[in-house]
Amino acid sequence: MKLLNVTNRYYIAIALALLLISSAFLSYRVFYLLDNEISEHMLFEKMEIEKQLSAQHDIQGIDFVIGDKIEIEPLEKFTTFRVSLVDTSRYDSYEQAIVPYRRLSYEQLIGEDAYRITLWKRLSETEGLISGIAFTLLLVAIDIIACFYFLNRWFSKRVWKPFYRALSGLKHFDLHKGERISFQRSEIEEFNTLNVELSKLTDKVARDYQNLREFTENMSHETQTPLAIIRSKLELLVQSEKLDSEQLGHIKSALDSVNRLSKMNKSLILLTRIENDQYNVAEVLNFSQLIRRQLDKFDLFISARELKLKMNLQEDVMLQINPNLAEILLTNLISNAIKYNKIQGELNIELSPSQLIISNSGAPLTIQGDQIFERFKKGDQPDSVGLGLAIVKKVCDHCSCDVHYIYQDEKHVFTIVFPEDKIIEEEEA
Amino acid sequence: MNFKKEKIMKVLIVEDEQELLQSIVSFLKGSGMTCEVATNLTDAIDKIDTNDYDCIVLDIGLPDGSGLKLIEELQKKDHQTGVVIVSARNSLEDRLTGLNIGADDYVTKPFYMPELVARIKSVFRRRSFQGQNEIIHNELKVIPDEMLMYVHDKLISLTKKEHELLLYFLSNSNKVLTKESIAEHLWGDHADMADSFDFIYSHIKNLRKKITDNGGKDYLKSIYGVGYKFSNE
Repeated sequence: MKLLNVTNRYYIAIALALLLISSAFLSYRVFYLLDNEISEHMLFEKMEIEKQLSAQHDIQGIDFVIGDKIEIEPLEKFTTFRVSLVDTSRYDSYEQAIVPYRRLSYEQLIGEDAYRITLWKRLSETEGLISGIAFTLLLVAIDIIACFYFLNRWFSKRVWKPFYRALSGLKHFDLHKGERISFQRSEIEEFNTLNVELSKLTDKVARDYQNLREFTENMSHETQTPLAIIRSKLELLVQSEKLDSEQLGHIKSALDSVNRLSKMNKSLILLTRIENDQYNVAEVLNFSQLIRRQLDKFDLFISARELKLKMNLQEDVMLQINPNLAEILLTNLISNAIKYNKIQGELNIELSPSQLIISNSGAPLTIQGDQIFERFKKGDQPDSVGLGLAIVKKVCDHCSCDVHYIYQDEKHVFTIVFPEDKIIEEEEA
Repeated sequence: MNFKKEKIMKVLIVEDEQELLQSIVSFLKGSGMTCEVATNLTDAIDKIDTNDYDCIVLDIGLPDGSGLKLIEELQKKDHQTGVVIVSARNSLEDRLTGLNIGADDYVTKPFYMPELVARIKSVFRRRSFQGQNEIIHNELKVIPDEMLMYVHDKLISLTKKEHELLLYFLSNSNKVLTKESIAEHLWGDHADMADSFDFIYSHIKNLRKKITDNGGKDYLKSIYGVGYKFSNE
């Protein structure tokens, strides 16, 4: 959830709660005051009637000047001074419905005669008033909340702009490209501090990465000559006629180790080369044909292991990719699938325009999932240098392909998903 | 090989690493070539001005300039000299530049000595006889560009790998060739496939059988665990 939405959510919740409480309170107060007002008004009317009636001796011809319903009925005798004020309801002929009324009734002597005087006041007006108030309050509430929401959005966007800019800078930060992130200065001190620290951090990461890369590159280049010397000396030594089998055994071990080192070296150089973007020229390649060509090279090794090769290649899958990288990728994947296969195992290759799946039979590995792509992770394969799949991963990263490994149905399955923008439709190709 | 008897190959080795230079010299001498050395570009240019060589083994990264310059110099002089580049780099561009401006072949450090010898001899063969030559080893006769072998003048066909293997052995006769070097010669980058040593074994077995079944001597010797040797007797 976005920061803005979180703050907005809190603001809106609080605003709603406050508005509800205050509108309840307001309604109650208004109702209470109005209610009192009505009663007071009725009592005032009573006094008015009393006054007007007292001045009369005859009930006929009285011209009352108050607006409410008044009933006057003669009583036999005056019984009480009590005034009753109750809320009740009665039929309203105008509205043709039973509506709430407040009734004030009392007894009054006019001359010698006792009368009951009853005042009726319609209450529905006040109820309408209350719902009117509630409706108005609701409108106000919606208004306030909407204003709140949009203003907050607007403010936040303005205020947090440098933050989001820094964030998108970080998101697009790619060590391999060697670009620096430029942070903009803002008026807000905290953001400036954050940007300064981020700059320092990314600069350091970039510097370290550069150093590491140079080190690997220099290291693998500089070790080539000493390796060549060692190997040449051992090859000269092995020519000697005077060696016994034990000495030859030592030389063989030394030669084996030199070979391992030199293989490792070659792989590291290849990795560095991919990282250094030396294979950046992409061409439109027929991937289906490339797979067949690569497989041909491994024919001998496939038949030697009596592997059951199952191919399900869609013809003419065209990809925009560097040919060297494509070859490196396939060679490594296929040789891997052959090398770590079992005798008479299966080797399946499936190609669709969107992905390539290579799977081979074999015992499960001691290493977990995608760890298999890390450098020098080789599980229990002592002969392997442990860089082949690291190269596969590097190539995939470089071509923005996704590569995944799973172990299922006693098979090692490698899936490579091609990026959509690199897939060339047949018509275009 | 017959051409060794006619002419001893004269090779100039241009390499700034003393130790590697010494190894190359020892190995090439052991293969019956005469060697001269240069450790920098200036010396090398002086040498080609005053001498003719059959082949130059050339390191690209020299202290006083790129070895590619020597090839340019060589071309000005219209030499009949073959050039095998030795480089620490394996980049395609380097390889192409080298081959484009007139080098004949290319090996990458760290290389196998017998591989270098085989490349030099192959370059020499191509240059001297336009490939129309044959290699004779006692009763054996091999035509490099055809997959054929004669044993006592009897024609025997070879598979591609057997042919490559035999040529490699003949270029380095009487030398111990390690299994790794053979594997790399036959399969290049795929040499590290798990079964490649088994294939070498079976190829050698087949080759030996083709030679001995047709009255040839058993020249192929296994050198305990390390590799094989194609002996002279």
